[in-house]
Amino acid sequence: MTDHYNQIPKRKAQFINPLNILKGKVGSGGLSDKIIEKAQELLEKNTVDFRPLAEMYLDSLAKGIEIAKNPLPSHDTEYVISTMIYPAMQLKGNGGMFHYQLVTAISDKLIQFLEVIEEADIEAIEIVLAYHTTIRAVVLGKITGDGGKYGDELLKALTDACIRYFDKNNENGYL
Amino acid sequence: MTYQFQKISVLVVEDNQPMLDLTKSLLNTFGVDSVYCTKHGKEGFRVFCQENPDLIIADWMMKPVDGISLTRRIRNDSKSPNQFVPVILMTGFSEKRRVVQARDAGVTEFLVKPFSARDLYRRVAQIIERPRQFIRSEDFFGPDRRRKKPKYYKGALRRESDFDDADKYEVDINLDIPNEY
Repeated sequence: MTDHYNQIPKRKAQFINPLNILKGKVGSGGLSDKIIEKAQELLEKNTVDFRPLAEMYLDSLAKGIEIAKNPLPSHDTEYVISTMIYPAMQLKGNGGMFHYQLVTAISDKLIQFLEVIEEADIEAIEIVLAYHTTIRAVVLGKITGDGGKYGDELLKALTDACIRYFDKNNENGYL
Repeated sequence: MTYQFQKISVLVVEDNQPMLDLTKSLLNTFGVDSVYCTKHGKEGFRVFCQENPDLIIADWMMKPVDGISLTRRIRNDSKSPNQFVPVILMTGFSEKRRVVQARDAGVTEFLVKPFSARDLYRRVAQIIERPRQFIRSEDFFGPDRRRKKPKYYKGALRRESDFDDADKYEVDINLDIPNEY
C-alpha cells in the first residue's frame, strides 16, 4: 500500500505527444475570410424546412411531459427530466441552424429551467407545457429569426413564469 | 498559402439528415473533398475503422450509439485504427456539467449548436495549431484536459509531474464554448 504521509496523493499519468497528422497534411496559413464568409453565406441561405424536424422534437418533448405526469415506479427523477431535456436540447441546437433563432432562445430558457429543478412536480410540468405550446406556435406560425418585439415578449413571459415558480418553490433547486 | 484541406478526410456522424448535409457542405466549402457521412455512432465506428479519417465531427444525441459512446470506443477499443484522432462533439448543450462529461469521455473540442461557419473553422484550426497532448492514467485515456496558461487553475495538483512544473497549467473546463449564436 502506498503511503503518502501528509502529502496529497499523486496519480501516475503517462504523457503522450501524438504526431500532428492534420498539421502535416494541411500545412499552414489558415483559411481566408472570403472562404469563411462563403461558408457562412451557405449556412444563412440554406432552404431546409425546419418544421418537420421541429415537429419530431416537439412530439418527443410531449412524450417526455406525459412521462413526467405519470412516471412509472422504475423512473427516477433524472430519467424523467432527461426525457424532456433531450428534445429541448435538439430544438435549441437545430432551431438556429435553420433560421428559427427564437426557437433556440426559448428552448435555451427551457433547458436552463430543467437543469435547475430537482424534481418534475405538477407546476414544473405546467411550465414545460407552456414552453412546448409556445415553441409549437412559433414553428406553426413560421416565425423565423428572433421574432423581434413579439419574441422578446414571449421570452419575458416564460422567464417570468419560471421566476414565479422558483419564488414559490424555494426548496426545489433554487435559492 | 492556405490550409490544404483537400488532403484530409473527415467523418461526420449525425442522425439529423439536414444537419448532416449542412455540415458536409460547410466542410466542402472549406476545401475538404473527402467527407464520410453516417447517422449514428455504431455505423460511425465501422466507417472510422474502414476509412481511418483524419478528423471526426459527431453529434452527441444519437441512437443506438451516441457521440460520447463513440468517442469512448475510439479512444479505448483495440480495433480503433487511431486512438488519437481528434473528435469534435456537436451539441445543443452548453452547461458546464455537460462539457465536463464530454471532456471526460475523451472529446477534443466541443461545438455548441447552433454554430456559425467561423465557429466550426475555429475548432478545426484549434486542433491543427494547438493539438493536445494525450494522457493515459488509471481511469482516463484522452486529450489532456488542461491547457497551458498559468493564471486560472486553482484546483488540486494530483499528478507527479505537477510538482515539477506546477506553475504552467490551467484546467480547461469550458473548451472554448462560444457565448454567441
